[in-house]
Amino acid sequence: MSRPRPCPPGRSRPAAIRHRITEPRRATAAALVAVAALALTACSSGPIAQNTPASNGQGFVAGTAGITVFGHGSPQAPRVSGTTLGGSRLSLAQFRGHVLVLNFWGSWCTPCRAEAPVLAALSQHFGASGVRFLGVDIRDTPATAEAFQRDFRITYPSLNDPGDQIALDFASTVPPAGIPTTLVISRSGRIAARVIGGVSYQGLRSLIAATLAQRS
Amino acid sequence: MTRPAPPATPDLPAPGPPPAGQPGAAPPAGQPAAAPVARFGPWAWCRWGWRQLTSMRTALVLLFLLAVASVPGSVLPQQGIDPQAVQQYYASHPALAPWLARLSLFNVFAAPWFAAVYLLLFLSLAGCVIPRTFRLAGAARQRPPRAPRQLARLPLAARYQTALSPDEALASAAALLSGRRFRLRTGDGWVSAEKGYLREAGNLLFHLALLALLAAICLGGMFGYKANRLLVVGGSFANTVTDLDAFHPGRAVSSADLQPFSMTLDRFAASYISSGQLRGQPSRFDAYIRYSPQPGAAWRRYDLRVNHPLSVDGLRVFLIGHGYAPMFRITDGTGAVVFDGPVPFIAVEQAGLTSEGVIKVPDARPRQLGFAGVFLPTAVDVNGRLGSAFPAPLNPVVSLVSYAGNLGMNSGAPQSVYQLDTAGLHQLPLPPRPLAPGQSVKLPDGNGTLTFTGYRPWISLAITYDPGTLPALIAGLTALAGLLLSFLVRRRRVFVRAAAGPGGATVVELGGLTRSDASGGFEDEFGRLAAALAQAHQAGPPAVTLTSPAQATAGAEPPVLDETTEGE
Repeated sequence: MSRPRPCPPGRSRPAAIRHRITEPRRATAAALVAVAALALTACSSGPIAQNTPASNGQGFVAGTAGITVFGHGSPQAPRVSGTTLGGSRLSLAQFRGHVLVLNFWGSWCTPCRAEAPVLAALSQHFGASGVRFLGVDIRDTPATAEAFQRDFRITYPSLNDPGDQIALDFASTVPPAGIPTTLVISRSGRIAARVIGGVSYQGLRSLIAATLAQRS
Repeated sequence: MTRPAPPATPDLPAPGPPPAGQPGAAPPAGQPAAAPVARFGPWAWCRWGWRQLTSMRTALVLLFLLAVASVPGSVLPQQGIDPQAVQQYYASHPALAPWLARLSLFNVFAAPWFAAVYLLLFLSLAGCVIPRTFRLAGAARQRPPRAPRQLARLPLAARYQTALSPDEALASAAALLSGRRFRLRTGDGWVSAEKGYLREAGNLLFHLALLALLAAICLGGMFGYKANRLLVVGGSFANTVTDLDAFHPGRAVSSADLQPFSMTLDRFAASYISSGQLRGQPSRFDAYIRYSPQPGAAWRRYDLRVNHPLSVDGLRVFLIGHGYAPMFRITDGTGAVVFDGPVPFIAVEQAGLTSEGVIKVPDARPRQLGFAGVFLPTAVDVNGRLGSAFPAPLNPVVSLVSYAGNLGMNSGAPQSVYQLDTAGLHQLPLPPRPLAPGQSVKLPDGNGTLTFTGYRPWISLAITYDPGTLPALIAGLTALAGLLLSFLVRRRRVFVRAAAGPGGATVVELGGLTRSDASGGFEDEFGRLAAALAQAHQAGPPAVTLTSPAQATAGAEPPVLDETTEGE
């Protein structure tokens, strides 16, 4: 495209200036917009009956594994409260003064099942050191969740969160970016570390130990 | 854009024809044949390549390619839209599917070659539109050209005599034209006037809007996201990554950027046509939901329907599918309730909504349990085979195959919640017996009991956030407005020459020219203008001549509009 062409094709033109005008640019520009619009709408969704359910291959978003340690200025954990699977009220504020390991899980989630023995063992290991463990059971039913806890001999409580409201409360600070996600929260209620994906015994133990070593 | 070879102009030193043997490199016909061919260095090649890329021809080819490239996206199942269908395709075309996957044909809109096409198209359009915008801005501010010498040769001409002096005549002509909002230029013995610059303004607007459209599309691609969620009646979900079934973020979207809304599905109603040829076709879907834009905000009710999405906090939630989630209570061999809830089953056909699904009970003892089942909303027995005759739940029945053993879930390997890995399982010897709601089956070998407790509908939701939609719409409408303006407004020129004629009278010559007559009527306008000028000059009615195109071209020398930007 070289220079502006002020003269679009018209119905009739004085022949005197006809030779100065070449027609197709404006028309092609219009066609271009039309085709672009067409191309962009080509990927819109079809009628309801044609669409089978919304799910990817596995039906949930697995996190991209990764450990984030928050140093200075680590974010404050939000005020969160809920009802445990056992039916009692619980809030994060009750754990002030303790290092808290908060684990988002579901009994249907395979990486959660794989890490469950690690969490069960570490909760025993650190129990005497004043470290508390709390689960947040998401997209689950109480029957399956309780069966899971029995199966893996998990003794710490879990908040029942079928609608994922607790994860939503964390969305503005440290959003759990997949299942499972584990947060290590310091004695003063700051989020010291986040693990997306299944935890390993060594990895989580050193995160907890480091948080325990912090003064606050 | 096609560039008919311009007469050599200072701003366009066209690189000569590229060396022979370059297909497609031939310059458009009419390129000065004598262009220097001797040196065609790398810089010239770059310039030539850039010109080719930013030519309208290339843009059109790319656009066509984009349209063609999106065809497989609508023919083949797409991972982002319908992953189940992709799995089915793998199952039915085991040899072909891996090759299609290698070519990204199951994820066309994220494929590298697709990106290449649209990035080139963006580059081509931007490279084409930006320089044009500057030139159009110049054209919109341009002064009228000098008056041609021979006004009588213009398509429209008029002539009369007046008693005023040439200067007086020109001054009053200028005043009159100026009063009619013509842009003026005066010279020795002439006045030149032009009107209709809105055409250039419209053209400019069109080009700017085109750029804005590109920017809006980029904006959507960077900051938008798409997600899917299946929601069973009675259930709720929050718009966080952990609670979505599938999440396709834009390049600049992180999990903290999701709008923190929550939604609960209270009731879902589907109605179907119950007779006639369209029997079984859906006629209406209503999903009665409650939603909260953010934690702690009030919950509001909404009736979600097809093509009636929920707009919340800038994102939109579409109802795109529905199905049934049969409910089961399962007691394991130890007598503990290990499962109690709905399981979404996926429709495998639409006429009767026959749905398939699996139930996994990984915490059952002594062995893990798994079930693969079919849910039939309106079960009928056709020659000993069960089928569903209607999509509404008139005679709901579930038929299960039961397994026990190892579900393979404890190793941590990702596994679809819609599929059963039977490698570590053995089928329980159980006569196939369809279950109606409330019926139970005792599992052999002390594996417990399963009860089909009922069913609930589910809906599937598409959540889309595209911050570019509104800017794109505005840009599109602006482009249209600019295009209309540039189509409808004519640029027209009126020239006045006044000179002392024989006998002391002043001869006034008028000439008129329109550069396109899309909406017609310039003859009338010119006639009225000529009459008004003659009246202002206290002359008799002017003799207006309309030169026919044939006559005009017959002239040895067509009237020259002396601007370099005039045409090409």
